[in-house]
Formats: sequence, structure tokens, C-alpha cells
Amino acid sequence: MILLQSPSRFLLQILHDRLLSQDKGVDIDCQTVEFDDVRYHIQVSMRNPKVLVLSVALPLPPEEAASFDGLPFGAIEAIKAAYGPVVQILDPPKDGFDLTLKINLAKLPSDEEQKNAILLQIASIREVVLGAPLKILLKNLSMKTVGPEAGQPVALVHRPNESFFVVPQADKATVVYPMRFLDSIDIVLATSFLQEFVEARRTAALNNAPACMWSQSPPPELNGAPESALTANAGFVTFVVNPRHVEGKKLDRTVWNLLTFHAYVSYHVKCSEGFMHTRMRRRVDTLIQALDRAKSDAEKLKKMVTGPSFKK
Amino acid sequence: MVNFISIDDGRAVGQEVHDPHPHRNQLANPSNPCESIPFSLTPTSPLQSTSVPPSSRSPRLNWSEQIDTGSSIYSHVLLSISKDSTMANTIRLYLTCIRNTLEAAMCLQNFPCQEVERHNKPEVELNTSPELIMNPVLICRNEAEKCLIETSINSIRISMKVKQADELENILAKKFLRFLSMRAEAFQVLRRKPVQGYDISFLITNYHCEEMHKHKLIDFIVQFMEDIDKEISELKLSVNTRGRLVATEFLKQFI
Repeated sequence: MILLQSPSRFLLQILHDRLLSQDKGVDIDCQTVEFDDVRYHIQVSMRNPKVLVLSVALPLPPEEAASFDGLPFGAIEAIKAAYGPVVQILDPPKDGFDLTLKINLAKLPSDEEQKNAILLQIASIREVVLGAPLKILLKNLSMKTVGPEAGQPVALVHRPNESFFVVPQADKATVVYPMRFLDSIDIVLATSFLQEFVEARRTAALNNAPACMWSQSPPPELNGAPESALTANAGFVTFVVNPRHVEGKKLDRTVWNLLTFHAYVSYHVKCSEGFMHTRMRRRVDTLIQALDRAKSDAEKLKKMVTGPSFKK
Repeated sequence: MVNFISIDDGRAVGQEVHDPHPHRNQLANPSNPCESIPFSLTPTSPLQSTSVPPSSRSPRLNWSEQIDTGSSIYSHVLLSISKDSTMANTIRLYLTCIRNTLEAAMCLQNFPCQEVERHNKPEVELNTSPELIMNPVLICRNEAEKCLIETSINSIRISMKVKQADELENILAKKFLRFLSMRAEAFQVLRRKPVQGYDISFLITNYHCEEMHKHKLIDFIVQFMEDIDKEISELKLSVNTRGRLVATEFLKQFI
């Protein structure tokens, strides 16, 4: 799987299972952690089999990314708009979590396709909640209007204690990611991957994709940003998003891709390291075989277990 | 004694020059004649640097100067590339030179430790008695790649420095060679830690020579060197290919 998928498979599985086993079934109380410190806790008790309680914990935002009541800007409106009557927000959220929802399975639409669409949407709760501020900014872009923050970098959270920046303007939005990695090998691999992004954008087939730049030092768009955000050991990636990329159906996909860009690069860096290990192990086996060929036959004979037949 | 090795079309021809340490005697083993390089002992005329007349197609060769590093004197072989030869030629030449040097140097016999009773140690590692150690040979392909071959009466140590052009190759080489060194047990002839200043080292003792055919062992070492180079360039290629694929898939999402 090359691309990161928006609906969480864990949630999707539990929701589908719950639907299939409507009246029979056991109490469910599961917790899980996803990449970048997002935690889910889902509970169903047999006293109310039609009601699921889903709690979500979000990554810790750094100081520059403002959060209203622990949730990103515009998250509550986004939830109401996406789910309608099926989902109700419980206030205050459960201990240790940032958001608790009560999902009423009885209120799901009866049409199979619509039901699946809503379940998929519920499983994409992460995209809805974390991506809410970005979605607002990009929606303004698609309508060619600007909010009060035109021209200034807006900090949004995508990883614990780290943010990326969006500079909204009337005709484009510039998204800048300071890329930070913990491991020194990761840094080198990520740098070569990010430079491939710039190279790939230059090919003719991708002319319509957002313009992509990489630089080691903070780009000029970040001039208004706080100091702490300006250190990045794998450089800064800049995407220029046009209204064409956010019209209609493409808005959700664009929001998800931009939200999880760092996680995507990090995922592929790790896959790459895993692949290298596999190759190295294979090479070691080949070399040891070559060494075994060097052994004289007498030695091999001595080491072989002698069976009933004895070779002289 | 200083040994200069000139390379001409892949054959190594040896010549000795003056010997500042006449007491150092290589224990010539009459039962194991060295094939191509006559490492003889007698001090001859003072150092003269001669130059090899370059043929039109082979790389130009340089005599190197002596480098006196303390008590050991390295002999150097430098391959300098003339304009019309390619990189592919020098790798063949480099590996052939190493192979020939190893064939000459790998004359090992059992030698119990002189200082401690009933002990049998690889003398090249201990470096205590000058009469048991031969002159080390350093074969350089260029500034970044070289191979040091140190021989003694019962063991030989081969250290390699691998080419690392950029940052990515640097970490790939380090990762891969550490991976190999940690499995030194399985390789038997590999040393767990490389010699200072090099990337990977082998230690071959007389026991290995008894167990394994000498020419096959040398084949293995040379193949090992080739494989390392190949593996690192393949790893780098795979990283770049994967990066290209990842980037294309991501950007396609926006179209």
C-alpha cells in the first residue's frame, strides 16, 4: 500500500462487525494507537447495543498552533456537517481524550450505500477533526476568498509538538513543512526522497500537480513564523496549491494528503530501511555460500553426518 | 625492505629496492613458493624510482615514494587514470593487483607463540616480534579506495576502505558493513572490528588455509570486494527508485 488511507481500518472493522452482529454480541472496549500519537477508544455495552462511544485523542499541539477547547479550529462544525444526526458530541470528553462521540447506529440511513458511506466517514474521524482548519483554508481558496489571515503563515498541527504552515492567499495557498527526523539515517534517506519530489514534479505528466520545492533553510514564506518552528534537520518542503486542486470532490483528498505528508515520507523511509535489511541478509547468505565453496571436500566430509553409507 | 609493485596490464611485477632494516627476515617457506612476486631479502642498491613506460591503452602508472611511518614502511601502488581509460578498467586492475598480492602473501604456516607456552596466536594481530611480520602492502585505487594487506608467518590481515561518494552512499556503506561485521562468526575469516582508518577487515590464519583451498579463499575475498561495491550501488539505486515512485504517487493524487 503506497498511499496512506484516510479511514482507519481499526474503526471500520469494529463498526462493520457491530452492524453485522446487531443483537447478539459482546461488550467491546478497545483502545488503539495510530501513527503520530492519535489514540482511539471505542466502547459498546450490551445495555445499549445501538450506541457506540468513540473517544479520540489528538497529538499535542505546539504553542504556535492555536487550539480552541483542545480541538482544532472548526472541528466541531466539521463533525456536525459530516455526520448529521448519527453522531452526537459528548462534553466533556472522556479522561485522557480530546473528543468523545456517541454514535447511534439506529439513526444510520437504511440505504446500503449511504450506510457504508457514513461508516467510512466515521472511520475517517481523524481527517475530519485534524483536517478541519486546513479544510476551511482550502475551501476559501476554492471560492477565491481570503479570511483574516491572508499572507500570514498559519500554524496547523500534524505531529506531536510540531506544526506545518499554510500561507493563504487569494489565488494560491503555500504549504510549508519543516521536516524533522530523529534518526540520522532517516534524515539522509528522507533528504534524498524529498529531492526526488522536486525531480518528479518536473516530469511532464505531473504538470498539474502542486509546484514543489525543497530547501535546507527556511523559505521566505515563513518570515512571520516563530523561531522554534524554523529548525528542521531534513530541510523544508513547499507545496503551492491552486484552486484547481481543491475544487469539489478533490478537497477531501487534498486535505488528507497534505495533512499526512510527513507521516507518508516517514512511512516510506522506514519501508526502505526494511527493504535494505532484507537485501543485506540475502547478500550475506550468498557470500556465505561462496565461502562454503572454498572449503575443501575433506573438510565438508568430516562435517557431514555419516549415514549408513560411507563415502570414501 | 620496500616492495614496489608496478601494474602493467594486470600482471604484477615485483622489484625490491633498498632495505633499511637488514635484520628483518621474511621466513621464506621453501615448501610454499610464492608464485608471481619474488619478495626477496637481500639489500640492494639505494632507492631509485623508476617509471614504467606507459602503454597507450593501460592506465598510466606511478611509482610511489616511500612513506616512513614509524617502524613500518608501506609500499604503495597508485593507479592514476589517463584520459582515455574508463572506471571499469581500473576496478579490474585494482582487483587483479589485490589478487596477485594475496596469492603471493598467503603463505601461512603454523607457528606456536614464542612468548607463551602452548599458545597459538595470529602474529599479525600482536605485532610484537619484527622477525615474524612482513612489510605491509597498500594498494590504492584512488584517494578514497584502498586496500592494506599485512602478513605474518601464520596470519594475514586484509583491510579495505570502500568508496563513499556522497552522504547517502556513506550511510549505506556504514550500515551494510556493520551488518556484515556483526555476522563475522558466520564468515569465519571476517574481523569483528575493522582496522583503524578502514571500513572492513579480514583475518585469515593458517588454520583457514588448511581447511580451505587457498585459491578459492582468494576468490572469495575478491568476490567479496566486488559484491560490496555492487550491493552499495544497488541499494542506492533502490532508494532513488523508491523515492521517485513515492513522489509520483503522491503528486498524482492532486491531479
